[in-house]
Amino acid sequence: MPAADAMCPAAILAVKGVTKSFPGVLALDGVSFEVRAGEVNALVGENGAGKSTLIKLMAGFHAPDAGSITVGGALLHPDPAAAHEAGIATIHQESHLVPGMTVAENIALGRWPTRFGLVSRAAQFERARAVLTQVAPGLPPDELARRLSPAEQQLVEIARAVAEDSRVLIMDEPTTSLSGPEIDQLFAVVRALRARGLGIVFVSHWLEEVFAIADRVTVLRDGRFVGSRAAADLDTDKVVTMMVGRPVEAMRAAARPLGSPVLEVDGLTRLGMIDDVSFTVRAGEIVGLAGLVGAGRSETAACIFGIDPYDRGAVSIGGTPVPRGGPTAAIAAGMALLPEDRRQQGLVSKLSVRSNATLAVLDRITRHGLISGEAEDGILREASAGLSIKMASPEVPIATLSGGNQQKVILARWLARRPKLLILDEPTKGVDIGAKAEISAIIIKLAEAGTAILLISSEMPEILSLSDRVLVMRGGRITAELDRPEIAAETIMTFATTG
Amino acid sequence: MSTVQTKAPRGPVPARRGAGPNWVDLVQDLGLLLVLLAGGAAMTFASPVFFSRINIENLLFSSTIIAVMAIGQTFVILVAGIDLSVGAVMALASVLAVGLPLHFGVPVGVAALVALAVGGLLGLVNGLNVTVVKIPALIATLAMLTVARGVAFIYSGGQNIAPVPDVYVDVQAARVFGFPLIILLTGLLAVLAHVVLARTRFGRAVYATGGNPVASRLAGIRTTRVVLLAYVISGLAAALGGLMISARLEAGAATSGQGMELTVISAAVIGGVSLFGGEGKIAGVILGVLLLGLVGNAINLLNVPPNYDYVVSGFVIAVAAALDVYRRRTVEASLKRRSALAKRSEAGARR
Repeated sequence: MPAADAMCPAAILAVKGVTKSFPGVLALDGVSFEVRAGEVNALVGENGAGKSTLIKLMAGFHAPDAGSITVGGALLHPDPAAAHEAGIATIHQESHLVPGMTVAENIALGRWPTRFGLVSRAAQFERARAVLTQVAPGLPPDELARRLSPAEQQLVEIARAVAEDSRVLIMDEPTTSLSGPEIDQLFAVVRALRARGLGIVFVSHWLEEVFAIADRVTVLRDGRFVGSRAAADLDTDKVVTMMVGRPVEAMRAAARPLGSPVLEVDGLTRLGMIDDVSFTVRAGEIVGLAGLVGAGRSETAACIFGIDPYDRGAVSIGGTPVPRGGPTAAIAAGMALLPEDRRQQGLVSKLSVRSNATLAVLDRITRHGLISGEAEDGILREASAGLSIKMASPEVPIATLSGGNQQKVILARWLARRPKLLILDEPTKGVDIGAKAEISAIIIKLAEAGTAILLISSEMPEILSLSDRVLVMRGGRITAELDRPEIAAETIMTFATTG
Repeated sequence: MSTVQTKAPRGPVPARRGAGPNWVDLVQDLGLLLVLLAGGAAMTFASPVFFSRINIENLLFSSTIIAVMAIGQTFVILVAGIDLSVGAVMALASVLAVGLPLHFGVPVGVAALVALAVGGLLGLVNGLNVTVVKIPALIATLAMLTVARGVAFIYSGGQNIAPVPDVYVDVQAARVFGFPLIILLTGLLAVLAHVVLARTRFGRAVYATGGNPVASRLAGIRTTRVVLLAYVISGLAAALGGLMISARLEAGAATSGQGMELTVISAAVIGGVSLFGGEGKIAGVILGVLLLGLVGNAINLLNVPPNYDYVVSGFVIAVAAALDVYRRRTVEASLKRRSALAKRSEAGARR
């Protein structure tokens, strides 16, 4: 590494006017971003703002469609190994250690020092010890990685970056799985590295943390660069405004007469996941559950629907407690859940559209113990009325449909049961804009017909336009309950990031 | 923008009523059928004896035990499991069915029921180990294989138990309208299994659970129960195989069925049952059984030393599996193309 680079006070890594699109999505649109030596630059934005894509570009996983990424003046070759060579180390959200190897082996991963062609354990240990004294003095180099806590694993990854003489350290939401004291320890390490002249990219959803550690805050929104300013010139409100700043759409589902309470959740607690969650959803009401990824929204749905056990609290439908018996009991009580991960949790891709649509009503499609094609068709026709599912025939495997149509089939699966409560977890994730509008219209129609709807969504416009009431979650708790007049993007974002 | 779902059954695509094949399965089933017919034709030329009634009956008859056990195994593979214990369970059932009447004076019918019940019970244990204890199916049923084989040896002292009750010999020799009863009953069992898989709630739950256990559970299917039942069915089928082998060997044999699990699994895989679960049909499995039977028959007729049977069978398995991989790849590619086309035309319609 030329010494001249290290002494240069300007940007180590410069992203200039980068555009990146994936099939159907423009993820980044002319974004510029700089990492300077001895500076912590916090990268913030809503879910889907383009942070992850930007990180992947800087780490060499993707090539930009347009624009340039330079490291120390040299163009970055779009290849993770090349980015590594150039001195860019990335710490991803999930651990990237080899669980069966020791701390020392992990620190030297892929660059094990050899002597006479054999890996030298002694040299490896020495190197690990030297780096660990800077990053995590308490950590024994001979401990197996899988015995470490998530915080310790992260420190080992940082140690690896230091051992490799990295110049840029990208940390993607490093605090998600850490406790308070662990975060303090992490921040101390980050400050030490900054003092040694590393440029640090810190991605976080938590604005307090951002202000605790960052010298500079860069905001992305909808794939575009909004601004990059010294942290000292900003405060939480200003950052939230920058994050949300889109013109708030006036389109809003009309208010409906609400019926009696359908879902009542009282003090629901799953230790380490969600804490004392209580709320009600009435017949015909759409309750939006907002919050950032990891706030506990899907976990709440999983407890209500009986997928995960809960430690305390109670769930009832129409005043009758729902027994704890897995999803079967929840379904029997009148619930339905459109899961977040359609491929993993929704589709049986080898089965036909028809078989997928009738999966939750197998008890209603048999005649004399045998499945009746007519009964299946009848149920499919009834449940998919108004959904306009586009397909060649109900016989084709569901995998041949587009994302939006697959989602409608899964929706039909539940409508066939005429649920009292419909939980929608990211109902328009991965579907194109046209299908999004159709699904929104369907949701409103269902509410008008008296279905109680719990809508989990990371898409602010969806929450804003559909919800009669919004619950904001953060860190496993409900931090705000907003009625119609109070629903606003800024308010939701403030409670989601700082509440 | 056209929506077809309301009138689709009468649409351009021929309506399918559960039992009928769609084009994907048709390629698979027809492909295997063609291989079988080609093999049969080649054998007709190669050996004058092959296309005789007695030889065909022989071929079918010798395939019945594998067919019964492969049908059971199919349920397990469809739920993305595997049952290695079938050969050993078969041996245990065989020594119990013959030994209990001989040594303890248990009525023959009761002994047969006990043997079947033991098979079902061991299947249940396999299922519990897989679903509740969460041992990988390969290991759980390997352990069961060892234990069941061991118990069969302990009970029999390693000796064949003979003579077999007369009923066994009689049933084995029985003919209906001049056709061996055992073959007819096996055919009946295959039809029953087909109906269960293609036309009942349980069958649908089997395919769904094997295809995507998480989605199935979220749809309210009791997936644990489905998997348990699949292993019980495999255990029962293995025990039934034990009764059949006793009749054929005219003894209760603790050594019977060694390596049988591999033949049975091969038959299912050749027949197009995906080892990843959720995909496969009884009709294919029967064709797979017959193909293996044909190989054995050919070796026999052409005076090839019997040990070559293994080598040839191995080749057949490898070729069938390779063809299956090839088919899957072409089908997947065409599905992807279709899905991309669908998206494009939708986007067009919206614009």
